[in-house]
Amino acid sequence: MLETEQLTKKFKDTVAVDDVSLVLNRGESVGLLGPNGAGKSTAIAMISTLMKPSSGDVRLNGKSVLKKPDDMRRVLGVVPQKIALYEELSAYENLKFFGRLYGLSGNKLEQRIEYVLELVGLADRKQELVKNYSGGMQRRVNLAAAMMHEPEVLIMDEPTVGIDPQSRNHLLETIRKLNRDEGMTVLYTSHYMEEVEKLCDRVYVMDHGKVIAEGTKEELKAILSDQETVLIEFDQNYPELFTKLSEIEGVQHATVEGQSLKLIIPRGTRMLAALFHEAERYGAQVINVNVQTPTLEDVFLRLTGRKLRD
Amino acid sequence: MGAFLIKDIMLLLRDRSELLILLAMPFLLIAILGFSLRGIFSGDLEALEMDIALVSEEDEAQAVASIQSEIGEMGLPPEQAQALKQAAESASPQTMLVSLLEDENLSELVTVERMGRVQAQESLEKETVDAVITLPQGFTRDSLRNMLFGESSGGEIELLAADLSSPQTDVLDSILNEFVRTVNFEASISRLSGQESAAEVSGGIETITAREPITSFQYYTIGMAVMFVLFVGSTIAGQANMEQKQMVFDRIRLSNRSPLLYLSSKAIAAAAIVFVQLTLLFSLSALLFRTFAADSWTFWSGIAIISITLASAVGCLAALMVAITLRLESDAVPAIFSGGVISLMAFVGGSFMPLDGMPELLRAIGNWTPNGAALSAYFSWLLEPDLGQLTGPLMRIAVVAAVFLLMALALFPRKGGAA
Repeated sequence: MLETEQLTKKFKDTVAVDDVSLVLNRGESVGLLGPNGAGKSTAIAMISTLMKPSSGDVRLNGKSVLKKPDDMRRVLGVVPQKIALYEELSAYENLKFFGRLYGLSGNKLEQRIEYVLELVGLADRKQELVKNYSGGMQRRVNLAAAMMHEPEVLIMDEPTVGIDPQSRNHLLETIRKLNRDEGMTVLYTSHYMEEVEKLCDRVYVMDHGKVIAEGTKEELKAILSDQETVLIEFDQNYPELFTKLSEIEGVQHATVEGQSLKLIIPRGTRMLAALFHEAERYGAQVINVNVQTPTLEDVFLRLTGRKLRD
Repeated sequence: MGAFLIKDIMLLLRDRSELLILLAMPFLLIAILGFSLRGIFSGDLEALEMDIALVSEEDEAQAVASIQSEIGEMGLPPEQAQALKQAAESASPQTMLVSLLEDENLSELVTVERMGRVQAQESLEKETVDAVITLPQGFTRDSLRNMLFGESSGGEIELLAADLSSPQTDVLDSILNEFVRTVNFEASISRLSGQESAAEVSGGIETITAREPITSFQYYTIGMAVMFVLFVGSTIAGQANMEQKQMVFDRIRLSNRSPLLYLSSKAIAAAAIVFVQLTLLFSLSALLFRTFAADSWTFWSGIAIISITLASAVGCLAALMVAITLRLESDAVPAIFSGGVISLMAFVGGSFMPLDGMPELLRAIGNWTPNGAALSAYFSWLLEPDLGQLTGPLMRIAVVAAVFLLMALALFPRKGGAA
């Protein structure tokens, strides 16, 4: 349905998006995962026809949208990272304004406003000014505004940044409902791994402007199928010991998390004994050991050498 | 378009600080300046003192005697002839003018010294006097003929001033005009600049009509109104900047609405706000300070015509500022405009004080600012409700508005395609 081909955006000497090719099939929920500065928002802006690419193409149903973006804009609902609303207007007034921009009027407009407000759970507070809402409520109206014209594709750029868990859950449930119950195609950008894991069928992993991996969640985790993650918690942080443990043969990646050390090691190897032996020799006390199957976070760590929220 | 307009006006109505700037602040300044500077506009004589040389080029007694002799030769009944001779003597215009200028009240304002023409000219050049009033040969005879027999077009008074545009000259002009009216001349007063001699401009006569001076409240109501409407431009541009920063502008672009519709809605919203702002300021000032005595439909229609023209110009100015703001993706333009440019425009446009004493270039620039041209139009209308007199300033506003609009269209980032 929607695809990008070798999409590239350069700003002077910086390449923000480098040769990115994505595909969104109808009814699919696709995640675009990457840390801050990975180029996700720039890619989204180009896909949304809001920014001209330096090279490459964006196609809707096989037709390029770069020169004639109207068709694309008609089917697209964009939820930007910022709260793209008038704070001095109420949720109702905002939705009415954006609905009228899309040519809605009269009963149809009123019904649509009621529908999207119900969808985001703000029907009973629609007359309050947006500036008086909590961050989470503002994010929900932000989504509602993008839904006013019944888009086929919903593009969301970090829609849950800085909101409370309750609003976050509400938002995620709403998106899941739109995708699964109403068949809406979703492109979901986030640096929250668990959100992407929860919502998306397929994932593109971006770093430094490039797509470094793509596939279903299972396919991505399979990258680490021959590995496992060991989290060792000590009674305190031992920098010297942590360095030594990281250098033990077979350790593929190590991350210090406070007084814990997270190691990615080959599955099935008997390395734990060696690790404990070294810790004992150093006089460090092990509080807890946890052997985990890899998460997307671990996949990202493995692929990029850094954590998503670094 | 309607959706944009409603939204822009609702946003403004909910922004208390902007409303304060656009409505409360000018009204406060009208009150403060109107009261505190009342003297300058209506009789602060100290500021208007001037020294005048009075040159009489005729022998008044001889002129009166000559008229009396003419009366005697007219073959009138003796009683009537006697009455006319007495009238000629007592109503001698030269004596009346001197009495007027040396009157106890007026002597606070003017100091009169009789001089010969040459001495007066030299004094004017040396700036020891501010103006020279010349009563030319035949002044008494022509005036009396006009008064007594209706045979002449009246006497002619020449006013020679060092600075034609100074408030003092205006005041003296008014006094002489009042004198002319009082003695019922159908005479004219030649106003000559200090650089020209009376002989050179004979025939260059300006008829002066009696007019009420502009009061301080009138001056500052109009001055502050035409200044504060300019803030609407920066308010609207500030809104556009916020829309861009908050990505609301992107949302609008995604709705497939023409970018030019957005720009024109900003211009129309600004014009509508300015018109309401002017209406409120003028109405409140008229109600509370009795600024405008005229209550005829004609008067208010003229005010409305000027206001609509000014509002349109500010609409175009707002469009230009929106275009630059969106192009630069910065709020610098509205900030600089409201922080300094408006004050500058208000100064050269004459919002703070009359520009009579200012250099010609400054006045010319002021005349080409929308606020300065509007100020001039409002004052003209206030002094004499004549549509013909509005043509000049209204044309200037229209030209400036057209330039703003063309620049706005050239600079506005259309972004019709992707990005």
